[in-house]
Amino acid sequence: MFNKLRIGKRGENIIFSVFVLIYIAWCVSSPDMNIESLKSVLTIGLSVGIIYGLVALGISLIYTGLDVVNFSHGEFFMIGAFAGLTMFNVLGDQEWIFNVFPDAYGWIIYVVCLFTAFVSMGLFGVFIERVFLRPLTKKGGGYTVAGMGIIICGFGLSVVLINVAYLIWNPVAKPFPAELGLPMEIGGLFLPITYIWMIVVGLGVAAGLWFFLNKTKMGLGIRAVAFSKDVSNLVGINVPLYISIIFGIACAIAGIGGTLVGPTYQVVVFMGYIILMKAFAAAVVGGFGNLPGAIVGGFTVGIFETASSFYISGSHKDLYAFLLMIVVLMIKPTGFFGTQVKMKA
Amino acid sequence: MLKIDQLVSGYGTVQILNGANMKVDNQSIVALLGGNGTGKSTILKATSGLIRAWKGSIEFDGEQIHNLPPHEIVGRGLVQVTQGKDVFPAMSVTENLRLGGFILKTKKQLNDNLEKVFNYFPRLNERKDQLAATLSGGELQMLCIGRGLMSNPKMIMLDEPSAALAPQIVLDIFKNINRIRKDGLTVLIVEQNVRMALLLADYGYVIKDGVINVEGDSKKLMYDESVKESYLGGTKVNVQ
Repeated sequence: MFNKLRIGKRGENIIFSVFVLIYIAWCVSSPDMNIESLKSVLTIGLSVGIIYGLVALGISLIYTGLDVVNFSHGEFFMIGAFAGLTMFNVLGDQEWIFNVFPDAYGWIIYVVCLFTAFVSMGLFGVFIERVFLRPLTKKGGGYTVAGMGIIICGFGLSVVLINVAYLIWNPVAKPFPAELGLPMEIGGLFLPITYIWMIVVGLGVAAGLWFFLNKTKMGLGIRAVAFSKDVSNLVGINVPLYISIIFGIACAIAGIGGTLVGPTYQVVVFMGYIILMKAFAAAVVGGFGNLPGAIVGGFTVGIFETASSFYISGSHKDLYAFLLMIVVLMIKPTGFFGTQVKMKA
Repeated sequence: MLKIDQLVSGYGTVQILNGANMKVDNQSIVALLGGNGTGKSTILKATSGLIRAWKGSIEFDGEQIHNLPPHEIVGRGLVQVTQGKDVFPAMSVTENLRLGGFILKTKKQLNDNLEKVFNYFPRLNERKDQLAATLSGGELQMLCIGRGLMSNPKMIMLDEPSAALAPQIVLDIFKNINRIRKDGLTVLIVEQNVRMALLLADYGYVIKDGVINVEGDSKKLMYDESVKESYLGGTKVNVQ
């Protein structure tokens, strides 16, 4: 998003295309390959991918805005899922909604949960940033100078948040029984309707973020702060406030991601860790710090992972995301969209 | 307008300013001159709030501003214009200018000011949809000055507007600075191009080792032998 001028190296792209072709040939040669299975692979891949993309979006946003990598981001995803689930349990049976909208009842409740996760995680993110991260920058120089301390603090924060969640919700995996209608048949498999819902909401959130950053005044300020704190100060932007806003938005998006996966999988205290790692791979594949790149990277990792476990071997599912990351780093270290802006002259 | 009194400041533990005194009158152009590393930019940074004043006071429009955060100083009408390289390269010219008017409340004010800036610098109007990264050095400097003007300031502080520019462009920019002053703004200009700055300014300060060493009317400073030899590079300043 911040880098629009592209400096491509043709060699990188050619080698990468060769790898992609070899991979596609490998998948096509698999005995399971047919149109039906391809449909379900794409559905699952895209829906898982958008979740990686949403978390990667937050990581990239914090990276561009605060110049630090937030290693506790997976925990915001996990707590977001619990926030949605808690709201779901608190709401319970709302008969009056059921009487007014008997058909859309489950959806209305679920949207309220999504909204709760979004708002509560946004506020929680601002709280964490102000109380735990901001004091580390007291010695001056802001986040850029305090970088390594903040990164280590992120690891610690991750452990603390997991254990706090453990105390509150205990480690048993909890179902999220949102009533979203019957499963649908895609490519011979019966998939929960939430797969489609994940893609729709995820893309909606990404589009909303794009609109917010590019078309509103606050978004303009966020882009300015992400590029340079000093110059932003000089044009009259309240930089400390905007840093909190950036962190809050990143956490709110992660929270939505958590509530989105809740009904499809289960809500459990340890779900944040692996998502963080996969989202990291997604961010690197898309180009670290690039926001559209984060979503594209998420889709790439999701489809690659699902296709590989379908057509190559299902027993090493978690391996593929990192394999892809290593290949991308070897051939095209900037990722798909990672670029540099060069000033003229 | 601006009164700096016994200002002491620096970076980290390194003290750069050792009690500088300055005064800028309403609707005047004041030049702040000096060699490299003498504290010119530090005075600007302390005034716009990017670094704290350790001791002393800075008064703007009858109000103490040295304890305010930078964005509130901008809100009070004191804007620092950075060097041309400090633009947002991945944003268009219009977006850069809109950022300059970030503190404005209404859209109408913003559009009025955009018109005003395009009136000063027609070149920016021609290039308003280009990315700032594609502008030339002179256009970048115009963009920076324009961005400073967007927030309706009472006073602007320019940090070396002539740095690394061709003489013709420097002349153009200095003409515009004079026009800005005629329109009612106060200007503090930090320069290494001594001749141009003194021709433009009403009053000049020469800074050395963090204190104001010589000050006076700019016409007088231009012929002051001691100033010439000690701080202005030791060469004779030719006027006409």
